[in-house]
Order: sequence, then C-alpha cells, then structure tokens
Amino acid sequence: MRTIAVAVLLMLGVGVELLACLGVMVMTSAYDRLHFTAPATTIGPLAIAAAVIIEESLSTAGVKAILIAGLLLVVNPVLTHATARAGGIRTHGDFMTLEDKEARP
Amino acid sequence: MTVWLIAAAALLLGLVPCGVVCFRGEPIERLVALEMAGIIDTLILLVLAQGFKQPAFYDLALVLALLSFAGGLVFARFLERWV
Repeated sequence: MRTIAVAVLLMLGVGVELLACLGVMVMTSAYDRLHFTAPATTIGPLAIAAAVIIEESLSTAGVKAILIAGLLLVVNPVLTHATARAGGIRTHGDFMTLEDKEARP
Repeated sequence: MTVWLIAAAALLLGLVPCGVVCFRGEPIERLVALEMAGIIDTLILLVLAQGFKQPAFYDLALVLALLSFAGGLVFARFLERWV
C-alpha cells in the first residue's frame, strides 16, 4: 500500500514538473514563461516530499525533504518578482508607476 | 531500478525544454529557463538521494536550491542594466 502511495505521489510530482517545463518552452513571452515556475515549486516539490515522508517517515531524510520543498516554496516568488522586475526595467527603462513618473519634478 | 530512479530519469527529460529555451529567445527568457532548470535539478538531487538511500545527499539538493536562488537574483540584477 505504501509503495503504491509513493509511486502515485512521485508520478504526480514528476508529471507536474514535466508539464511546467513544457509550458516554459511553449509560451512566447518571458512573463508568460515565468508563470510556469509557480506550479513547479509548489505542487511538484510538495508531492515528492510527501512521497519521501511516506517512505521514510520523519527521519533525517523526511525532515530534509520538507526543508527543501519549503525552501523552494518560499524563495521562488522572490525570484519571479526579481526576474519580472528586470524584464520591466529592460523594456521601459525604469520600474516606476505612472503616478511616480508624473510626480517626478 | 526503484521507482525513485525512474522518477529521476523522467525528471531529467524536463531539462530538454529548458535547454531549448536557454539557447533561443531573449536574455530574460533564457533566465526564466535557467531558473526552471535549477528547480528541476534540485528535485533530481532530492529524488536520487532517496533512491540511493543516502540521507547525506539531501544536503546537495538543499545547497543547490539556495544557490540557484542566489544565482537567479544576480542574473536578474545584471540583466536590468545590460540591455
């Protein structure tokens, strides 16, 4: 029973990752591609970490798997924002709202 | 050949689309593909550590998750200025 649960969770995690990679390739602009790093750092790692916990329970391996999945969950939004911000600055010259631009002396 | 090693091999396939985007497209799009490849590599190391029953190898995935995040930030910072 545990082996089946581990296999199902692994298939879910790996499937989501492969679909996210395909999404990065298929999309046309950088901002559209950026969206696909979200499922790749939420559903995928959590499913794989759950599979590790089912197999190892909360041993060293299980705790580290949770730590890695949690880390990916937390850092990816920051990276996504920084990348989109860099893209915005490259296209518009700066990263200011219209109000700020008008308020600028 | 356990289910973990099969999963690691399947995840390796995910690097092909990332490589395709890395070789084509705008610099920002290449950065997005690099970030996705960093995520996939982290999960490959995690799955391999479990597949080979080596808890010590989990630290590799942990360090890679941190460093690919920092690397992505540095690339984004440089891409802001270098048009």
